[in-house]
Amino acid sequence: MGISIKGLNKDYFSEGKRIRALADVDLTIPARQIFTLLGPSGCGKTTLLRCIVGLETPDSGEIAIGGETVWSKEKGIFVPPEKRGLNMVFQTYAIWPHMNVFDNVAYPLQTRKEPKKDIIKKVKKTLRFVQLEGFENRPATKLSGGQQQRVALARALIAEPKVILFDEPLSNLDAKLREETRKELRDFLTELKITAVYVTHDRVEALALSDSIAVMKDGSIMEIGSPKKIYFHSDHRFVADFIGRANLVEGRVRAVEDSYAIIDSSIGTITCPKSPDTSPGNTVSICIRPEFIRVMEKNTRESRNIFRGKVDSLVFIGEVYEGEIIIGDTRIFTRIEPTLTIREGDEITLFLDPDHCFVISE
Amino acid sequence: MNRTLNPRVALTPSLIIIVGFLTVCPVVMLIFGSFSEGLGAFGSFTLEKYTHAYTDPAFAGIIINTIIFTIGSAFVATGLALFLAYLNTRTNIPFKFLFRIISIIPMMIPHILFSVSWVLLLNPSNGLINLFLREILSLEGSPFNIYTLQGMILVEGLLDLPIAYLILAPAMASFDVSFEESSRVCGASNLRTLTRVTLPVLRPAILASFILVIVRSLASFAVPSVIGMPGRIYVLATHIYRIIATGFAADYGMAAAVGMSALAASITLIYLYRYLTSESEKYVTISSRGYNPSVIDLKNAKYPLFGIVGILSLVLIILPVLVLFYISLVPYSMVPSAKAFSMMSWKHWIEVLRDPISLLSLRNSVFLGVVGASLGVTLSVFVAYVIVKIRTRASGLLESLSFLSFSFPGIVVGVGFMWFFVHTPLYATIWALLIGYIATYLPYGIRPLTSAFVQIHSHLEESSRVCGGGTLYTLRRVIIPLLIPGIVSGWILMATMFVRELTLSVVLSRPGTEVLAVQIFRFAEDGLWGQLSALGIIMIFISSTLVVIASLIGAKLTKVETVSQ
Repeated sequence: MGISIKGLNKDYFSEGKRIRALADVDLTIPARQIFTLLGPSGCGKTTLLRCIVGLETPDSGEIAIGGETVWSKEKGIFVPPEKRGLNMVFQTYAIWPHMNVFDNVAYPLQTRKEPKKDIIKKVKKTLRFVQLEGFENRPATKLSGGQQQRVALARALIAEPKVILFDEPLSNLDAKLREETRKELRDFLTELKITAVYVTHDRVEALALSDSIAVMKDGSIMEIGSPKKIYFHSDHRFVADFIGRANLVEGRVRAVEDSYAIIDSSIGTITCPKSPDTSPGNTVSICIRPEFIRVMEKNTRESRNIFRGKVDSLVFIGEVYEGEIIIGDTRIFTRIEPTLTIREGDEITLFLDPDHCFVISE
Repeated sequence: MNRTLNPRVALTPSLIIIVGFLTVCPVVMLIFGSFSEGLGAFGSFTLEKYTHAYTDPAFAGIIINTIIFTIGSAFVATGLALFLAYLNTRTNIPFKFLFRIISIIPMMIPHILFSVSWVLLLNPSNGLINLFLREILSLEGSPFNIYTLQGMILVEGLLDLPIAYLILAPAMASFDVSFEESSRVCGASNLRTLTRVTLPVLRPAILASFILVIVRSLASFAVPSVIGMPGRIYVLATHIYRIIATGFAADYGMAAAVGMSALAASITLIYLYRYLTSESEKYVTISSRGYNPSVIDLKNAKYPLFGIVGILSLVLIILPVLVLFYISLVPYSMVPSAKAFSMMSWKHWIEVLRDPISLLSLRNSVFLGVVGASLGVTLSVFVAYVIVKIRTRASGLLESLSFLSFSFPGIVVGVGFMWFFVHTPLYATIWALLIGYIATYLPYGIRPLTSAFVQIHSHLEESSRVCGGGTLYTLRRVIIPLLIPGIVSGWILMATMFVRELTLSVVLSRPGTEVLAVQIFRFAEDGLWGQLSALGIIMIFISSTLVVIASLIGAKLTKVETVSQ
């Protein structure tokens, strides 16, 4: 079931100052997709999630889940969280410490007073699904972080909610477990074909899990798109920078040839795919991701986007060198193969793949 | 529109109405009563009660007594507490567990019994210590007389010692050691560091303890009635009692008029106390580097100082109970001797257990303890929930309302409630006492529950709501089970307070609704020390039994480990 949000506003008052947590948010979350709200801390993503689930009340606007309005200031509608037919996995998991695994997972069914026999059957099935078979009688306090996370997921899934919401569910796990759980979660959710709204500040998590990503900043949604669209062709400078390492270079469009635009920039002439913003004479920003910059032989056959620069710093981090190259006055971040023999201070030739330089519209 | 009446929305206003009634009603009635002709003529305005009360030539003396009594007690309690807290947190004195016991146990001994045991020890006619000293020193008269202001101050100071200690010990423990260390680095001695650095930094906490003891002793009734009244030393509390309980006609209007000044003084002091505690939080820095116990080596003073502590704990805990038990067995006050032991019998116990009024008071007190504490804790659960979890302006109002009664002297609240109950069918029923008790002791139930609620992460509650549990369902399945430890300690506090309650009961209790403490007080007035002691021991026994039962039930209900989040 899809979620549609119109004109949502929410202000906080903290120490006498008004903070806009949500500023006129309009959003449609399609059904049966994993939809991620991504943004730095304090951008309003968790507030938006809590408004959808009903734990927080917006100041104005409207929220509808699967066509049914659950909150509307104008119409005076407020459906409390327990009647919205959603479920949620909390950042802290919120596993009740005084219950065992069975009671934790069975809880949503118990609130509906389902017959005991059905509950036992469903708990068993759900625990098997999250790979916690036989854990029914384990006290909740005797679970590891990863197990707690799965109990929380089982509890969220058991009543087959219309929508399931995730509030940074992996942020309390250690790095290795987080990677494994992320993959599992992706498999679970794809298998269930369920609508999921996922909040995170971790861009890798967002890219790996989502069907669509909405990037938020200061209470507004900046951009919505598929992970690839957001990564390779983000429209906003902020989004391009937030979703991954980005070199942002300013320039002026000199000409457009075929499907490419020729841009005079602070590092020299850059060729990149044309876009609606690349009318000759326009000032534009070009985003070049470090992984699309290659070190070339001095006399390479490539004719476009070849630059000479001086290696300013070089840090070995295992799979690559992270290099900072000075071209003209501009510092460019690169990722250099660790097998190359380059030293700080060397003059090197760089090639910027023209198909992966893109113009940012704002 | 599916906006039905949400219980969550209705909760705060209904609690404000209930708690507001409990705390504001006695005050409002007191004010109206003080301007009324008398209980029967409520609302007929007169200023006569005030002129009468405040032009009484004895009144100035009562005020002076009250000031000396309260400030004296504050000095005794705070001084002793400082001494104990310093020794415990900053020195290497042995047997530190004793300090915890000293700070908690005296709360278990009802104030009236503690006062009585001191009377039994130090009264001029047959106090045990006096008798003993007279015998061995062959003196003519008794060397000590408890029935003096000094006697009152001593006993009240000892009774309020735990409160002062509970304020000062944490302040001393959390105090940043580097203040002291830097002083010592600068070349100051231990003593100089203590007087020039430690005590000044602790000044807000010391003042807070001082003021709280003044408030408590202003409200105290046990000591002024058991020790002061026989010596004809009256303070505000006993003056009010005298107005309504003795003489040919009880004058509740005049009692209310006098009560107004006790109430005003008390409220002012509590505001001062609150201001100071917020100040002390500002100045006494709690260092996050972890508590570094730089203890002072007492060297040769170690055991002599411990001796003092040992004597104090003897005086505070063992002596009162021992004296009561001894007196309950001997026919009349006599120094322990072979003769005394040969004359011991259960006579007083049998008399008490055959006395219909004592039995009635026993039944009433147990009923009030069990039913009152259960109702009080139920109310406290809701109030604490709103205060901690629903943080709105209305819940802030509820918080102020529910802690208001901390600043009300019991006897004044009693007079206020009297004015109210007289106009209701509740008058002279046990329910009047029950309502009065809950109103006065509500903070004792709310305190442990608010701290329990603070420990429950809001996600635990929210996840229940998201899982389909409504407000009441969530309360029943998630919040209350996690609150059991807090509920148990709130219940224990309230139940023990109710079983021993004297100050309020002395005003509200009528024939048929006698309670234990009032019956003990009557025995004291009549000098029936043997029966008093027997009933007193029964009272301590009942309190302890309730505590044990509540703890057992609590342990059974919470088989789960502590709340981890």
